[in-house]
Amino acid sequence: MQAKSLLLTGGALLAATSGALASGFQIGLSGQKNIGMGGTGTGLYLDQAAQFYNPGAFAFVGYSSFQAGINMAVPRITFRPEGGGTGQETLQNKNVFPFNGYAGFKVNDKFQVGLGAYVPFGSELHYGHGWTGRYTLTDIKLTSVYVQATAAYAITPQLGIGAGLVMLAYGDVDLQRDIPLQSQNGTTAHATLSGKADHKFGYNVGIMYKPSDKLSFGASYRSAIDAHVSGGDVRVSGIPAAAASSFTATNFSATLPLPDVYSFGVGVRPNDKLTLAFDANLVRWSKYQALNFTYTGGVLGGAGVTSSSSVRNYKDAVALRLGGQYKVTSGLSVRAGGFYDFACVRDGYLTPETPDADRVGLTAGFTYEFSQRFGIDGSFLFEDFRQRSQSQADLVANGTTDRVAGTYKTTISVPGIGVYVKF
Amino acid sequence: MKAFPALALLGLAGCQADIDAPSASAGSANFSRYIAIGNSLTGGTEDGGVYREGQLNSYPSMLAQQFALAGGGAFNQPLFTEAQANGSGYLRLAGFTATGTPITSAVTTNLAIRAVTPTVVYTKYLDRVDNLGMDGIKLADIQTANFGNVSPARAYSDANFNAYFERITPDGSSQTYFQRVKAEVAGTTNTPAATFFSCWLGNNDVLAYATGGGAVATRAITRTDTFNLKAVRIINALTANGAKGIVSNIPDVAGIPFFNTVGPSARALLAAANVPTAAPFVYTTGILAPLQPNTRVNTTLASVRSAGGSEPLLLTLTAAPYVSLYGQRTGKYWRDFYAQARPGLPAAIPNLSVFLATLQVDTTQAFGASSGNPFPSTLVLDATEQANVSAATTAFNNSLQAAASAKGLAFFDAYTYFRSVAAGPSVINGVNNSAGFITGNLFSLDGVHPTPRGYALVANEMIKAINAKYGSSVPQVNPTSYRGVLFP
Repeated sequence: MQAKSLLLTGGALLAATSGALASGFQIGLSGQKNIGMGGTGTGLYLDQAAQFYNPGAFAFVGYSSFQAGINMAVPRITFRPEGGGTGQETLQNKNVFPFNGYAGFKVNDKFQVGLGAYVPFGSELHYGHGWTGRYTLTDIKLTSVYVQATAAYAITPQLGIGAGLVMLAYGDVDLQRDIPLQSQNGTTAHATLSGKADHKFGYNVGIMYKPSDKLSFGASYRSAIDAHVSGGDVRVSGIPAAAASSFTATNFSATLPLPDVYSFGVGVRPNDKLTLAFDANLVRWSKYQALNFTYTGGVLGGAGVTSSSSVRNYKDAVALRLGGQYKVTSGLSVRAGGFYDFACVRDGYLTPETPDADRVGLTAGFTYEFSQRFGIDGSFLFEDFRQRSQSQADLVANGTTDRVAGTYKTTISVPGIGVYVKF
Repeated sequence: MKAFPALALLGLAGCQADIDAPSASAGSANFSRYIAIGNSLTGGTEDGGVYREGQLNSYPSMLAQQFALAGGGAFNQPLFTEAQANGSGYLRLAGFTATGTPITSAVTTNLAIRAVTPTVVYTKYLDRVDNLGMDGIKLADIQTANFGNVSPARAYSDANFNAYFERITPDGSSQTYFQRVKAEVAGTTNTPAATFFSCWLGNNDVLAYATGGGAVATRAITRTDTFNLKAVRIINALTANGAKGIVSNIPDVAGIPFFNTVGPSARALLAAANVPTAAPFVYTTGILAPLQPNTRVNTTLASVRSAGGSEPLLLTLTAAPYVSLYGQRTGKYWRDFYAQARPGLPAAIPNLSVFLATLQVDTTQAFGASSGNPFPSTLVLDATEQANVSAATTAFNNSLQAAASAKGLAFFDAYTYFRSVAAGPSVINGVNNSAGFITGNLFSLDGVHPTPRGYALVANEMIKAINAKYGSSVPQVNPTSYRGVLFP
């Protein structure tokens, strides 16, 4: 009933995975057990995903295994333009599937090495056909896959350190929007920018200290990587012949900063069955100040305009996470958690590609171990973004009129499943 | 246990996030029958003509569509039929010259022209009409008898006759526009009384003078006392039965592309051709008509308004075909003027050479650069004429505002709004909108009337004023879903 009235009153419906579990366009679905515990993982070790969450904790994993997980992010985003506008009737809800996989090897009691692949950043949105902001963005698909080689060493039974070499192994971007240029035969011009990111390296480091069996502390850092696309393709369609000379660009280049993250965590085991975890993350989004494109010719802004700059002005963002795990039987563990994540996008700077907001997440999960060697992990995440508005006056005041005034509201549900094999 | 969370949460995932939206309401207004009073802007004229697409995208049509969300009823416009969709004909963009000057061409198919003699008339429309926007009407015209009656002997373009009013007026009726408005306000057995109105009249009382370069005797600025009297009269008539409404004032005509396109492009082209700005520019000022002396002004090209400049002379969009002839020994303008004037010329002017002699024009001299072959005042709005326009606009707007506030009506300050548009581009939903010709998205190819997107912004400004005045909550339209200029 509410969904119907929304269609009538002018909501634009769209699909996104943007920002599942973390601010901005972080994804953070990097370990199924961790997802079930509110995204914690810095102050304890749950499995080989410690390579991502805290390579120092990885030193204590103590067995060799392979694990893989996949998630289905089911986003629901609604937009209502300022002043009401007209109804947007077409919706393109699309699910996306961030994955993670790790292999960890116990070299000896002190030394553990591993390989992992995960999707730390990404976004995919397909706005409804003809939506209010179609001249700012109609579609975005942003994918990044990191692979990581990790080594961790337990200096003492209480103190572990680890480091990983991280590579942006695969990155691609596909941005589309309509161009406000209509032809007499009824077509609207449309531009697509797509390209692959260069391979780039980064690292992560971590430390874990376990003063007792009941308590552990961890800290980790993951470096920033500037995802750079050079020689991306510019494709335009539906350009009226009389305006074609303004659209000569065939290639573009752009840089998207993927920020560094500081994490601190505490793990508590009051008894053999119960584990509690607390994490705090600081994501250095403030390095994302502007999105700049350069083109090999004229595009979007006319023949003489070969670059564009759009203000982002992100701020550093903190996330606070809490999770618990309870071992019901020797084979079954259940998990629950929650988090509160502060937006990295300031008021009046919201863009259609990242309709960020402060959000609350609730998570649940379980592990069922069929044997000593094989088990499955299930997880579920539900995330509720605070409704967020910006007015045309805000946009004018901030110099951010390249986006739309209105209200965004997002929820995301992410069921996920993983398997692991110990050997 | 295993299946439970996944299933429950998949259920949650199906729910669309919901935004609380204020529901549309009329507040203290009543939109059950809305009527629109006005001129070409209200009728939806664009691209120099009245045609079906423009009518469908008129701001009253948009308002009525939004009012319908808040209790508004049917809104009937005198639409041209699909078969005669091109109505009066209009301009379309055909392309650009090598130097970037736009080329327009006239659409002449599927017209709704019923006859061309003694004057042009269109296919009749005698059903209920809620949009009374009549292209060309001045506020001064509202009490002109036989304004929609073609039967009295009519000259080719008789200022006391309006072909669009003729369309909606039964044959032989001498009804004035004012009488028609009163009849619509009162309602009939089949048509309810009007409960809400918009009134945007008065533009042509000054625009007709300005677009004619202040050179056409029959297009004089309306006297302020006449304007004031008729403004009060029409507002009184509209509110006689207690209807509420919105009154708009008139924009500064000097801010429209009609006056700000050709001067700057001519300056740029002449500069590119290495013509010095000190080169002579000779134009006539005041009335330009055969058998009447005309005054010539000797100045230089430096007086012509350049892009972003403040030089005194504004060239009209209608000057576009002639500016490139500057400095040539040509009589093109004068031949065109003769062809246009010919049906009304007295027997004393039997041919072109006599016509030229009475105007004291020698077409063997350099056009626009010599006093023998001056640039005609019909294509120039000089400082004196601009001052006349500005003074009249201010006086008319004072009358309109006083008449509106006397009745406690909502008011759309179009003067201020269009000044802000002219001052610089505003970006709405990621689209640059400005007063630039063709590239600005807001003004159509005639340089005077908005595009559908321009009309959408007007509708939104009116909705804001209505909501503020009557405590209503009428949603705005989405301007980006309406087109700007269409390109070939």
